[in-house]
Amino acid sequence: MSKDRFQDSYDAVVVGAGNGGLVAAATLAAKGHKTLLLEQHNLPGGFATSFVRGRFEFEPSLHEIADFGSPQNKGGVRKLLEDKIGIDSEWMRVPEAYRLIIPHEKSGRIDATMPFGEAEYISKMEQYVPGSRESVSKFVKLCEEVVHAFSYLGRSRGNPDKKVLTGTYANFLKTAPYTLQEVLDAVKMPYRAQKIITAYWCYLGLGSKYVNFSIFAAMFNRYIAKEAFIPRYRSHEYTTALDLKIRQLGGDIIYNTRVERILVENGRVVGVETSHGDIIKTAYVIANTSPHTVYSRLIHPRSAVPERAWKTCNARKVGFSALVVYLGLDKSPEELGLKEYSYFIYSTPDSNEIYDRFHKLGRPAAQATVCLNNAVPDCSPEGTTILYLTTLFSGEAWSGVSPRDYFQVKNKIAAEMIDEFEKALGVNIEESIEEIAVATPATFARYTGAFNGGIYGYEPVPWDSILPRMMTMNEEKYIKGLDFAGGFAFRGHGYSSSLQSGETAALLTHKDLMEVK
Amino acid sequence: MTGKKLHVKIKPLGILDLLSFKNLVPGRKKRIEKAPGTSIDPLPPVNALAGKLHPEIQHLVVDQIKDETGDVRTYRLVPDKEKGTLQPAYFRPGQYLSFTFEVEGATVTRPYSISSTPGEALSGFYEIAVKRYHDGFVSRQIWDHWTEGCAVLSGGPEGFFYHDHLRDRQNVIGIAGGTGITPFRSMAKSILDDDLKINLVIFYGSNKKEEIIYHEELKELQASSGGRIKIIHVLAEEKLENFEHGYITADLLKKYAAPLESSIFVCGPKPLYRHIDRELKGPAIRRKFIRKEDFGEIEDVSSLETYPGGAAGKAFKVLVHRGKEAVEIEADAGESLLVAMERAGLCPPSSCRSGSCGVCRSLLIKGDLFIPEEVDDRRQADKKFGYIHPCIAYPLENLEIVVPRRKIE
Repeated sequence: MSKDRFQDSYDAVVVGAGNGGLVAAATLAAKGHKTLLLEQHNLPGGFATSFVRGRFEFEPSLHEIADFGSPQNKGGVRKLLEDKIGIDSEWMRVPEAYRLIIPHEKSGRIDATMPFGEAEYISKMEQYVPGSRESVSKFVKLCEEVVHAFSYLGRSRGNPDKKVLTGTYANFLKTAPYTLQEVLDAVKMPYRAQKIITAYWCYLGLGSKYVNFSIFAAMFNRYIAKEAFIPRYRSHEYTTALDLKIRQLGGDIIYNTRVERILVENGRVVGVETSHGDIIKTAYVIANTSPHTVYSRLIHPRSAVPERAWKTCNARKVGFSALVVYLGLDKSPEELGLKEYSYFIYSTPDSNEIYDRFHKLGRPAAQATVCLNNAVPDCSPEGTTILYLTTLFSGEAWSGVSPRDYFQVKNKIAAEMIDEFEKALGVNIEESIEEIAVATPATFARYTGAFNGGIYGYEPVPWDSILPRMMTMNEEKYIKGLDFAGGFAFRGHGYSSSLQSGETAALLTHKDLMEVK
Repeated sequence: MTGKKLHVKIKPLGILDLLSFKNLVPGRKKRIEKAPGTSIDPLPPVNALAGKLHPEIQHLVVDQIKDETGDVRTYRLVPDKEKGTLQPAYFRPGQYLSFTFEVEGATVTRPYSISSTPGEALSGFYEIAVKRYHDGFVSRQIWDHWTEGCAVLSGGPEGFFYHDHLRDRQNVIGIAGGTGITPFRSMAKSILDDDLKINLVIFYGSNKKEEIIYHEELKELQASSGGRIKIIHVLAEEKLENFEHGYITADLLKKYAAPLESSIFVCGPKPLYRHIDRELKGPAIRRKFIRKEDFGEIEDVSSLETYPGGAAGKAFKVLVHRGKEAVEIEADAGESLLVAMERAGLCPPSSCRSGSCGVCRSLLIKGDLFIPEEVDDRRQADKKFGYIHPCIAYPLENLEIVVPRRKIE
């Protein structure tokens, strides 16, 4: 066959068709740039995909997309996908924020089901923790201010007015250098309310004493104020819709093609080389993968990676990977007694202790579990249920696992998670398992090449959270023409951040391309 | 914002807050400056583990060939270390390998269940059993060309036809037809290795005694299993002492095992599945306790009840887009699009050839085709957006499709 299946030169090449890469390619193509998207797998999406076992189609990683909003009250992500890019995808509302169960809290079991909507959330909390209204209201308001401040920073394109910042967004500036726990204590929130309000911490993968307040605040507000949504036909629906859109816009996509090298000359990108030996010229690359992977595997020659880039990588910590147990059950959610969509089950109330335990290969200390049918009733055949249980692990925790032990190790952990879920809710799940699949850090590494199987980006500790990343973005750009999208980009991890990071990277590249043109 | 300013008093931080804000950037720079400037490991442990479990490609060499019956041979394959495969990837008993062949100028794939055990993979080899079919395009190629020392290419272990103790019962009934015995040989041997903790009763259907694969070996496995393995041979065309005669029926299962207290695994040709479906009909056995292995392409698609009339016997034109290039090929109504493309020398990607793995996933742009519902394992969004699995898609008129390149060429 002829080698000329695509052009040998592009305005921009996007490496990886994950959430960030797809949006980046769509945005660049829409701006009229000759864009090529290269993906090593045969599907778009990265973690945002689906897989079929028997009569069940599973959602591999998504629990709920933040900042989505209803058609009447659109959030940033819905605006991006529907209005700016214009894809054909159907979205389902997640019915409640979450049900949190902490069975072994000293002051008594915590079992709280929290609603979306700021006022509703505050009132519900007052029911569970009388006397919490004032501090919780204060916290919710503060989170709102953080989100407004971030949008102001975005609008100001890197040149914010200091007076506006110190005047209108003073509390944002005040809290930006602190951890979530420091702010919770500062607003004097009652202990049990703190436990309930921090439930989302595992979506960031950092305990309350480690995670930066601003990023937690932004996430919390975007869930509670805007409500969460999920795609009707799993993430594969909107990622396939993005694929179709990119090609409609004139962009090219090549699957089953891994970028092996990003070619650099005199400190700037000049092209890429693929696993098929294709050499494609380009001055701009958007990498939908980690700087860890780009610098250690892709930049060619390796000497083009400056020492400062290695130092930056070594100063940061790659976030967690996950273990997910996917269950297709041959009973309906009603028969099983599953009423909620999203469950957080924490074996101990201390998120920091759980965070530490995620670094060891033991019985999982926490799980975030989704009953998909409670948002998408017909996601599986009548009389069946899709349930997936997620826990986190550091990649290092799996470094001693041999191929021979692998299946036993993962099934043991899966059994422990099912047991924990059954005990916390008083239900029987195991008896109804018709299909089971267990994804581990090795599974995530297999399909995406993610560094050590990480599903999260760099840990957003105060010194490495969104704001300091934004403020140092230009000086930490170590190779000209190279930008990042996805969970490792400055916005941090999670579906909404990853999707939006693709737009940011594309617009920055667009700006450069327009200056050149 | 309500316009009303909110004062969060953050004690004891107070007045120092803005100062610590100003310190964010210098603090970050200091952190980075202090960090070591050493390079990062390009293959961290989890990625290394993933590569061992799921290699994209395995370079193997034919090490031994053994005649099992008149038309079935076992091929023992060892890693080709010179080409970079150091160790056969570990697997779960019941999984298969997809092999890639060059036959008469075409690149084709075939899946074969691994008949050896995971323990044997650790000690350095795989075995597969290949039946020579009279008109078998690929099986003839193997029989004629795979000699000792011959280089062979496969992917990593795949498939979901394995016992899982969280889902399946400890008592397992295996129903095998012909070469469908191979995954059960792997399971039975793994029981003796203590790598698989199940009790296995195998009902093995053959036409004649001389066609039974692993006859002696299965007998020995049963004898040394301490009751964990039992083999019942069922001969369709011969009446012999110590053999059951006829077909594998529900009554026969009840005679030797407890089908209502077992997980039932079935592997064999399509007619066996239809037969077993009829035998096990009724509400007594939940779907979760019956698992069927994919067993390749549909042999005579026009004989299916759901096949629409009119197209049988015809030939169509298919315009195949690959990247910027488009090729027009001929496709017969009775052959899958995958086979039509392979025949035309296009070498599209494929693996399970049974509709389920999705490796051949392609986009249908124009035209109508037939996809048998019982093997249609496509994702829901793929149905919505017009994607197909060419290995189980049969043309009903002229078509236009977009096909990806292979992962490795």
